[in-house]
Amino acid sequence: MVFSSLLFLFRFLPVFMICYFLVPRKMKNLVLFLGSLVFYAWGEPVYIFLMLFSTISDFIWGRLIEDYRGKGSSRIFLLCSIVINLFLLGFFKYADFLLQTVNSIFGTTLPLMHLPLPIGISFYTFQTMSYVIDVYRGDVKAQRNILQFGVYVTMFPQLIAGPILKYHQVEKYLKDRRVDLEEISYGARRFVTGLAKKVLLANQLGLLWTQISSKETAQISVLMAWLGVVAFAFQIYFDFSGYSDMAIGLGAILGFHFPENFNYPYLADSVTNFWRRWHISLSTWFKEYVYIPLGGNRKGLARQIFNILLVWMLTGIWHGAGWNFLFWGLWFAVFLILEKLFLGEFLANSPGVFGRIYTLAVVLIGWVFFALEQPGEILSYLQAMFGMGGVGLVNSQALYLGSEYLVLLLIALIACLPLGSRLVHRLKSSKTGPAMALYRLGEKVIPTALLVLSVAYLVDASYNPFLYFRF
Amino acid sequence: MTGKEETCVDDKRNSLLTVGLICAVLLVLGIADLCNGDKIYSETENRLLASRPAFSWDALFVGTYGEDYETYMTDQFVGRDKWVRLKTRADILFRKREINGVYLASGHYLIGVNDPEEYTEQMENSRIASLRKLVNRWDAKVMLVPTADNILTDKLPMYAPYYQEDRLLTKVKEAVGDEHYVDVYHALQDHAGEPVYYRTDHHWTSLGAYYGFLAWARSMNRYPYPYDIHGMQTVSDDFQGTLQSRINLDWAKDTIQYFPETEKKAVTVTYDLKDTSDSLYAPEYLDTKNQYGFFLNDNHAFVEIHTGYNPGKTLFVIKDSYANSMIPLLTTHYETIYVVDLRYFNGKLFQFMEQYEPEQGMDVLVLYDCIHFLEDFKYY
Repeated sequence: MVFSSLLFLFRFLPVFMICYFLVPRKMKNLVLFLGSLVFYAWGEPVYIFLMLFSTISDFIWGRLIEDYRGKGSSRIFLLCSIVINLFLLGFFKYADFLLQTVNSIFGTTLPLMHLPLPIGISFYTFQTMSYVIDVYRGDVKAQRNILQFGVYVTMFPQLIAGPILKYHQVEKYLKDRRVDLEEISYGARRFVTGLAKKVLLANQLGLLWTQISSKETAQISVLMAWLGVVAFAFQIYFDFSGYSDMAIGLGAILGFHFPENFNYPYLADSVTNFWRRWHISLSTWFKEYVYIPLGGNRKGLARQIFNILLVWMLTGIWHGAGWNFLFWGLWFAVFLILEKLFLGEFLANSPGVFGRIYTLAVVLIGWVFFALEQPGEILSYLQAMFGMGGVGLVNSQALYLGSEYLVLLLIALIACLPLGSRLVHRLKSSKTGPAMALYRLGEKVIPTALLVLSVAYLVDASYNPFLYFRF
Repeated sequence: MTGKEETCVDDKRNSLLTVGLICAVLLVLGIADLCNGDKIYSETENRLLASRPAFSWDALFVGTYGEDYETYMTDQFVGRDKWVRLKTRADILFRKREINGVYLASGHYLIGVNDPEEYTEQMENSRIASLRKLVNRWDAKVMLVPTADNILTDKLPMYAPYYQEDRLLTKVKEAVGDEHYVDVYHALQDHAGEPVYYRTDHHWTSLGAYYGFLAWARSMNRYPYPYDIHGMQTVSDDFQGTLQSRINLDWAKDTIQYFPETEKKAVTVTYDLKDTSDSLYAPEYLDTKNQYGFFLNDNHAFVEIHTGYNPGKTLFVIKDSYANSMIPLLTTHYETIYVVDLRYFNGKLFQFMEQYEPEQGMDVLVLYDCIHFLEDFKYY
């Protein structure tokens, strides 16, 4: 099930929330766990057993690691857990990719397995791995309650599209959590904001990208190519951050405090900075569990460069089993390394605008690798972007699509700047007078209006894709 | 009470209101949707709606039950028409000029979008090849009517793409030869300022059909029957056609007219070899959404018309729905008209035509709009 569906909004969510708030405190985890299973099973009836297996397996390894702490076997248990997790991920997500690669290199004809990817597997295996590693390091105590651990792994708000929770971030809320009305109100508003970002902005601009990317390259002018990649940049940002908003909002309603996952990424003034603002829960995961354990920047420059390359190859391939994703990761690694070497210092000493434009260019070109899969498509799209497509700067189709989507693009532009939240903050901090009254009114009217409008777009949904089926 | 406590109470009340409003939307609509009965058919959208999927464990495990249920929910959602309307309004607010495959054109016209990339050269060539076979065998006249986007081009949104039918028509003319080609394109273009297309429907109006009829007569070297365009009779002034359904907004209302001269002499019309009528028109359609069905009782696989004109002369028409409003004008030139709509016709067209051909031979007319020609025409 996905959040941006009538089924979720008008069947699952009301029924779940009523059950959740009616039952006594002791039973809330049970309701949340069962609800999450229903949520997951709706779209993935079979793979639910895979998720449960993963849950039970890491629950046991976690306890064993703690019980044998200080002995050699503790390390072996950690290794077992990680091997199992990586095997599951590798088997279900990367098997066909590996087979294809082997086939094309050695000319073999090993049959592919064509397994559908279990939704959310990349998110929940990363969560369970964070748990066993945290336990091994002694950062957290092993969970003795299987239900609480089950809730951590399967919890529906962040199950299918993050943010990726690290165990130590939510440990205390699993045991006991309380909410007050203001948190519920905040959560509800946050959820609706995310829904609107997904349905009203991401889906609509996604249409623009689909229209442009499906054209033959011979028809794509420079303007149209940039229009397309900007549309994709907006689509993936509003889609992904919208899902995170919905997750954080639902979490807040249930009494959790999930970490933020995005922080106005397109305002970044360096690629290093971009990755502190984009999908924060993933980049910090890799930092905490891969980059730093490998020595990070403490073992000399050569080792650091190697570490960066490795981490960003993994980050790339995490987003999907394909060469283009690997290349996308490496693309960023190159700029991160350049910034470590000299570019970072240069950027720090030049006007901020310069860094922003440079970062946007790197990111936008990166999205071409990300959005298109075949090397031929990628190359010809890049050629179109840089005027080597043979159509010229502007054609009438570009002007038509540009004017058709102008208002939406402007709204999207404003929505990815912190203008709105600054305005809200200013109104709110005035405490009294007309500004406060305005805030009070907006706080109620805007989310309700956004919700109603989103429902309209869902009912007439010709286009409502789920982008994370490859993650 | 101190000031601080007051704001605290205030905050509480505000939070309660916000949560209350959002919950109210979800609960009220959710309950209303549960109580809402299912519709089989949507009049406004002119299509069958998804019905509740049958539950089975198998379907659940494969995952199809979940998918089907979501389609069902979207199709049957409470107040569906109103939601679609709200979405269209929002799209208009976002200054979109193309909604659900319809251009919001100037002069209160809705014009169907025909994406030029959808109609390939290969498609054109294969249709033209079968057309040529038909023309060579039957000495047929070919009349391909341009769609509104090609005639009312100045009304389209700026830079809006459309499939250019003049290029197709030039190819058709070359393939079948001048003597078999009826030039409706220029006939309509000469009258582009007049209401030759409906504002809310993809068909041409009776006036448009009349100009088509004149072009046909010219190419047949016949004196056209003297229809009086000022004497046309109005049967409906609240027609909202197929294009209006797609945006589901009160956009404009069209007038449906017909030429009363076509009713001067008695006719016998037989639909699909069984139902007989004494009129070319079916007023009962004027009470439904599909008012264009007024002409020739909507679409049928085979229609047989007998008139009191020109004894011994027979016409065989292979057509789409554009023809429905023009065929009445042709009844004054033939004693017998056979009409085949290939979209509903199962059988061999070639054999069927031979079977109906009288000894003295018959005229054959292929009458389509350009788009339906590319999508549906065949000869076999």
